[in-house]
Amino acid sequence: MAYRFKKQIFGFLDLIRFSKVVDVRRAKLAEGSAAPLPNDYRVNLTARILHPGNRKAVLTDIIKESADTKTYVFDLGVKMLFRAGQYVTLSAKVGDSYVSRPYAVSSSPYTALKEGKVALTVKKAGYFSDWLFDNAEIGAEFAVNGPSGYFHYESLKDRPLIVGIAGGSAITPFYSMAQALAEGSEDFRLVLFYGARTAEDILFKDKLDALTSDKFKVVYVLSDEENTAYEHGFVTADLIRKYVDEEFTAMMCGPDAMYSFLVKELATLGVSGKFVKKEANGAGVRDVKPAVYKLTVHIRDEVYEIPANAEETLLVAMERAGLHIPAMCRAGGCGYCHSKLVKGKFSIAGDDKRRLADAKFSYIHPCCSYPDSDIELIVPPQNVK
Amino acid sequence: MNKYDAVVIGAGNGGLVAAIRLLQGGARVLVVEKHNLPGGFATSFRRGRFEFEASLHELNDFGTKDNSGDVRTLFDSLGVTDKIDWTDIPDAYRVIAKEEKIDALMPFGVKEFTDKMESYVPGSRPSMEKFFLLCKEIHAAQAYTNSVNGKSDKKVMLDKYSNFVRVGSYSVNEVLKALRMPKKAMDILNAYWCYLGAHCDDLSFIHYASMVYRYLTKGATMPKMRSHEISLALAERIRELGGDIWFNTEAVKLLTSDTDGGIEGVVLNDGKIIETRHVVANCSPHIVYGKMMKNVPESVVRATNARKFAGRGYTMFLGLNKSAAELGIENHNYFLYDTMDSVKQYEAMKRIDTNRVQATVCLNNAYPECSPEGTCMMYFTTLYTSNDWAKVKPEDYVRTKEYVASEMIKRFEEDTGSKIRDSIEEISIATPMTYARYCGHPEGGIYGYESQYWDGLTPRLMMMDEDYRTRGLRFAGGFSMRLSGYSSAYFSGDISGRQTVGDIRKEG
Repeated sequence: MAYRFKKQIFGFLDLIRFSKVVDVRRAKLAEGSAAPLPNDYRVNLTARILHPGNRKAVLTDIIKESADTKTYVFDLGVKMLFRAGQYVTLSAKVGDSYVSRPYAVSSSPYTALKEGKVALTVKKAGYFSDWLFDNAEIGAEFAVNGPSGYFHYESLKDRPLIVGIAGGSAITPFYSMAQALAEGSEDFRLVLFYGARTAEDILFKDKLDALTSDKFKVVYVLSDEENTAYEHGFVTADLIRKYVDEEFTAMMCGPDAMYSFLVKELATLGVSGKFVKKEANGAGVRDVKPAVYKLTVHIRDEVYEIPANAEETLLVAMERAGLHIPAMCRAGGCGYCHSKLVKGKFSIAGDDKRRLADAKFSYIHPCCSYPDSDIELIVPPQNVK
Repeated sequence: MNKYDAVVIGAGNGGLVAAIRLLQGGARVLVVEKHNLPGGFATSFRRGRFEFEASLHELNDFGTKDNSGDVRTLFDSLGVTDKIDWTDIPDAYRVIAKEEKIDALMPFGVKEFTDKMESYVPGSRPSMEKFFLLCKEIHAAQAYTNSVNGKSDKKVMLDKYSNFVRVGSYSVNEVLKALRMPKKAMDILNAYWCYLGAHCDDLSFIHYASMVYRYLTKGATMPKMRSHEISLALAERIRELGGDIWFNTEAVKLLTSDTDGGIEGVVLNDGKIIETRHVVANCSPHIVYGKMMKNVPESVVRATNARKFAGRGYTMFLGLNKSAAELGIENHNYFLYDTMDSVKQYEAMKRIDTNRVQATVCLNNAYPECSPEGTCMMYFTTLYTSNDWAKVKPEDYVRTKEYVASEMIKRFEEDTGSKIRDSIEEISIATPMTYARYCGHPEGGIYGYESQYWDGLTPRLMMMDEDYRTRGLRFAGGFSMRLSGYSSAYFSGDISGRQTVGDIRKEG
């Protein structure tokens, strides 16, 4: 005889028990509270503080830091907590275009958490930053999206001593870190090598000096000015050794040329691989024969036909055409502009940072993709809360 | 023309499958997804030179061409199997439990598993054989029930599948004790319990046995390009069949009829209204009834409030700058427990400071090419059986998540003897806040509603008709009738999608 399961002395009791499973559940469901269902949940609330997303933000203050650099303070209207070193994406409507750029936050994490404010310090150096410098007015409405990025201290990967190397206006993430160490929102030690052309180009000098402590030191390095109060030249292995005599993780923020030089210098100190972290730089204009292709863009149920210059990324083409589309890192890494390529040929600026299956199923990151033919794309819309 | 036969809310595993089923049934379908990717938890992300799997440890019930599991059969009929490159998982699991001093590596295959169990626990064979007889009958009963769309005949059930009915009201432990299974064999056999998230005094035997049987008879599988490959393949299929998918598009309200309370439309985050009479919601009833609908009947509020959120997720992802062999990581998936007393373990998992359980995967041991030569990647998952993360203030968040990560590394090193801490090249941590952010689930849950004794797989399936409480609104995904997990979510989309096709046809 086939095996027959029996739990109770009389097997039919098992059958009767089973016949009641629906009644039991029905009764349990009916016994639930009649109180309104929760409208929100604490974990979800905290998640929104850690990641408020793309939100309207009001410019509340402008501080001139140097001849070509200003700090813009934004009121987010909500609390936010970021890791010192992370960036947000600032966007605004410039003429008929929606333009956005990623900027490292230059204020402290707790200022964002307690006051809902972030400061971005931007040097006049391109289309959007020029516009900001010349046109941004207190009270104007922008959108701020973030925080994003991994250019921050990671206690389980990094050594407890960070050597920060900043090139020019790329001081901003480190200035945030210095404030974070002082207020206690981050906990590590930072020796910062801050390279600038002349003493006049050093941003936040008084503030950085005032923040120095057992956790934070700063060394100024001037490339174009001889001044006995400062180091002269570039940041080199020898210079780092002069101030640091223990193992460290290097974090660099600056132009790509600075990275290639420093990677070699750091290697001579035995600092390489996971101990060298650099912030990514956005894709720029590429050097090809000028050409204009037709770019067909599907955004939900809308279709646009716009021109796309061969020298510029597909993202720039869409921004020029006034399309409001998602963009964050502009370096191909964050995946926020993830779009489906229906047809056409393209080239990627730098490394292909897409997921494997994205390449397989023809998804691209328009922020780092240049058109090599007419292109058809399905792009998600951008939302602002 | 903002009018569709059906709108699928959420492009998670359940929603994607539901959309394909609707399209195959001739419906005009719109899928709206608030994130910019399909898949929900079924996705991947890049960090440095690694591409991490976001959630899938191993796909259950897929099988091979010659020994097809139900998921493969479903994927075949959806038309997606061949869009994905698959790779097999070598062993079922390695379970290490501190209190019982268990360290057992279990193979796939009923015979292999039984033999291995006998070698660890001499005398366990008779009870294991009975266990597998029950499994086989449960599996057959489920196949029969599916073949009649859930409307099983009582007489057929009693005549042909009486053991299904006989074990049907009992928990895992109740049945295994009745089988007189030696305690150590129960301990080893129960290792998968954390995949279902309810302890073995609560968890329905049918649910557990059905899952174990599917693993052991069909093996386990992974898409080579991580679960993102499955999600994109499903999205691709939706577009091939003429469906629309709108990303970065959140459904914020459901419009209902004043006469029958049924679905009339969906309001999107930008205010756009989509006219439809049918919605498959691949999200939690708590969100749908709590935030998206007006005039929800009291019976629905009570039924929703009665349910218990299952595990809130936490995962640490590590990219290591040495190979698995160099680091001495021998296996693909590990279950590390303090104790195999799942009731006691479930209690400890309520709190951040006491939860040390982990289900850990080193993908390279199934698919060596998943990361560059000389590296490997791992992911470590745990569940919280209470809402403890709600107490974590934003300013303590990073410290807390890194504390848990550090304890996980410590536990893995202690239990397996391999040293990984100094080889961390990339680290990423997902907490309940992360899951709440990406998928919007209450409390950052990743397992839907808990499989409590009264709310397990069997009564949910038996009450599918009764749980359809709003005309035109069906649910898919981890909160629905098949409970959580990849295969379950796919099946739920299959069921709700096909049911909605039926609803549409009835309306003519």
